Amino acid sequence: MFCIAAFIILVVMAAFSARYRRYVGTAWNCTWRRVTFRPCDTTFKQDIKDHLLAPVAARRPGLVKPASIGLEILAVLVLLTTIWSGYTVVKSAVNLYVYGTCNKQDSASCTLGAEACSIPDETPGFMESLGEFDVLGAFGNEFASLGETFAAIPARFQTWTAEDYLPANPSYLAEDAANPIAVEVIDPGCTFCKALFANIEEVGFESSYNLTYIAYPIAGTDGYKFPNSLLVTRYLEALRLHPLDGAETPVDWQILERIFTEKAETGLPWQETINSMDADEATATLVDWLGEFGLSADQIDVIVTEAGSDTVAEVIAANKTLVEEKIATVKIPTIIFDGRRHDGLVSVDGLR
Amino acid sequence: MKRSTLFKRPAAAPLDTGRQGDFGYLQPGEIYLDAACQSLRPKSVIDALTDYYTSYNACGGRVKYAWGQKVDNAVADTRRAVLGLLGLSAKSHAVSFTLNTTYGLNLLLQQLPMGRFDRVVTSHIEHNSVFLPTITAARRLGVERLVLDRAADGALLYDPAQLEKAVVVVNAASNIDGRLLTNLTDLVRDAHARGGIVIIDAAQAMGHARALLQKTEADAVCFSAHKMYGASLGVVVARHELLTSLELGFVGGGMVQDVRESDFDLVQGDPGALLEPGLQAWGEIIALGRAIDWLGSVRPGGLAPAEHIGALSRRLYDGLAEIPGLTLLNTAASPVISLYAPAQDSHRLAVFLSHSTIMVRSGYFCAHHYLKQQLGLPPLLRFSLGLHSTASDIDTATQALARLMKGLS
Repeated sequence: MFCIAAFIILVVMAAFSARYRRYVGTAWNCTWRRVTFRPCDTTFKQDIKDHLLAPVAARRPGLVKPASIGLEILAVLVLLTTIWSGYTVVKSAVNLYVYGTCNKQDSASCTLGAEACSIPDETPGFMESLGEFDVLGAFGNEFASLGETFAAIPARFQTWTAEDYLPANPSYLAEDAANPIAVEVIDPGCTFCKALFANIEEVGFESSYNLTYIAYPIAGTDGYKFPNSLLVTRYLEALRLHPLDGAETPVDWQILERIFTEKAETGLPWQETINSMDADEATATLVDWLGEFGLSADQIDVIVTEAGSDTVAEVIAANKTLVEEKIATVKIPTIIFDGRRHDGLVSVDGLR
Repeated sequence: MKRSTLFKRPAAAPLDTGRQGDFGYLQPGEIYLDAACQSLRPKSVIDALTDYYTSYNACGGRVKYAWGQKVDNAVADTRRAVLGLLGLSAKSHAVSFTLNTTYGLNLLLQQLPMGRFDRVVTSHIEHNSVFLPTITAARRLGVERLVLDRAADGALLYDPAQLEKAVVVVNAASNIDGRLLTNLTDLVRDAHARGGIVIIDAAQAMGHARALLQKTEADAVCFSAHKMYGASLGVVVARHELLTSLELGFVGGGMVQDVRESDFDLVQGDPGALLEPGLQAWGEIIALGRAIDWLGSVRPGGLAPAEHIGALSRRLYDGLAEIPGLTLLNTAASPVISLYAPAQDSHRLAVFLSHSTIMVRSGYFCAHHYLKQQLGLPPLLRFSLGLHSTASDIDTATQALARLMKGLS
């Protein structure tokens, strides 16, 4: 154990100083023998330990034994830490490849992937489980998550066809039978969805693709990550169930466009304003917008009623399953087009 | 009229080996106790070597120019000094310079004439420089090899019949516990009486126990200049008959008189050259001459070197013997003392002592067969003294070891 830990430390130190490079070969020889379950055939371990303990022996010889035990414990910790670090690096790299984020549980915390709102994983983390003395659960969840990630690798190689992931009652920002379909997964409250919408408008993406969306209110620790996302989603789905005849742009898209691109009278963007409203204020705002977008009072009543219906709840539940199990993304927004799945915010160049 | 003392020539004061003298380069607190491996060189030896390299570092060996002749003269002086040190005559013995004792022993043993000897005899307490070449020499000669015991006083325990046409190779002083080959004279006499020869490993003896080898009748004496205050160099002092009987396998420039397409004539009248193929370590040879001069004049504390070392040896032996938890291999004081602590690792003790700038050797001291196989001992710790050593060194080292042993127990 000690020589393996010493090898790890020496490799790091040798990268910075030639003084340690001559020891690396010896340390590796010893390490290789140890990992192949053979005794170390050099005095390397003893030499290193003795040199570390010599200053202690010179001052307080009586402390050599406890210090020696301390070194062994330290070696175990170094080894475990290194193994854990290596495991984390591999896991993060695979996650980055599969999900576009090195941290599957909190994708927004990984700076290596595209910017996005993360879908939190409610499964307790490794350290969290350990903190609750659930050792089996800690390892079980960890390896289950890793297995899930590896199982998702083939999905990265597949051709993503947007038609296979369409929600019920899709509405399109613009529709041209000659254009291919693109589908995005969005949360109306997510600032990166707003940014994606801006990019989409900038490149005129809707003139190249028939763009539709899956509204996915991201769950939070207490309800939803953005408090009115579910409410807005209910209205969007109700509008899809009862589209306004003759509207040039579907009303649900007009609502999204307003949330993502326009500002309230206060000067704050609507997305930010709605995120900070209570449910009643948000409902009143949406109802006002419906009238503004051409719905009659009766039509508004239908939408308001439908928004609270079980039918819409079932659509939202079905969409949730579609996002979490079929698309299996952990980042919002996600957009599928051109045979690929793009996780997180896609740049203007990426959309082109 | 009373003469002024101002013009009176002072009497020659005995040389001192204190820290400010010959070994002034030792820093305060540095305690070197590994002289059995390599003795520290006094400043005058270092100066001689430096003088060669900075003043006339030319080739020796039958050259006509001034520097080369100066080198040849100095080398010849060293050869004479070596013989003088052993009380031997150039009429019967020649001096050859090699790399070290091991190399010298191998040059002799691996070139012994085939068919002349019936056995190779050595002892259990030999250094690998003897132990290993005797194995290969016996194999080459196709004869048996006897490994004999040594008495506590160092005498080789043999039956004279065992010396029948034997090549006896033993040390004059052990590098483990310093025990001396006390029956050297009898051994040589008995071997010669039965057609045998005796080759002595004098690596440890030449420093402080040369008296044992004075006017020795042994056929060859091999030793290292670097264990007797010289620079790194091996020396072979051998009888002419032995040298001329060798079946030479190592040949080269400096040992031939003439060379033809498929043959050559060896140099005549210089048997020592038969072990000196190629260029020699001129500077180191010259430094050995200075070391011999120094050994002849140095008077540490007003004492002869052997007496001084003897007193320090007793002090070291007594100091170590008093430390609880140590097992000494020595049964008597010696400049070389080996020991072990059954409950402690000797290598660890050596590292710990080194941290206090106390330099001692740990391990099996190239005597694996005896210490590890025969006695079954763990690695040992060895303290060995030189003329640079002081009583203060010994006290500091023994106190440090005692403190370590107490703390570690």
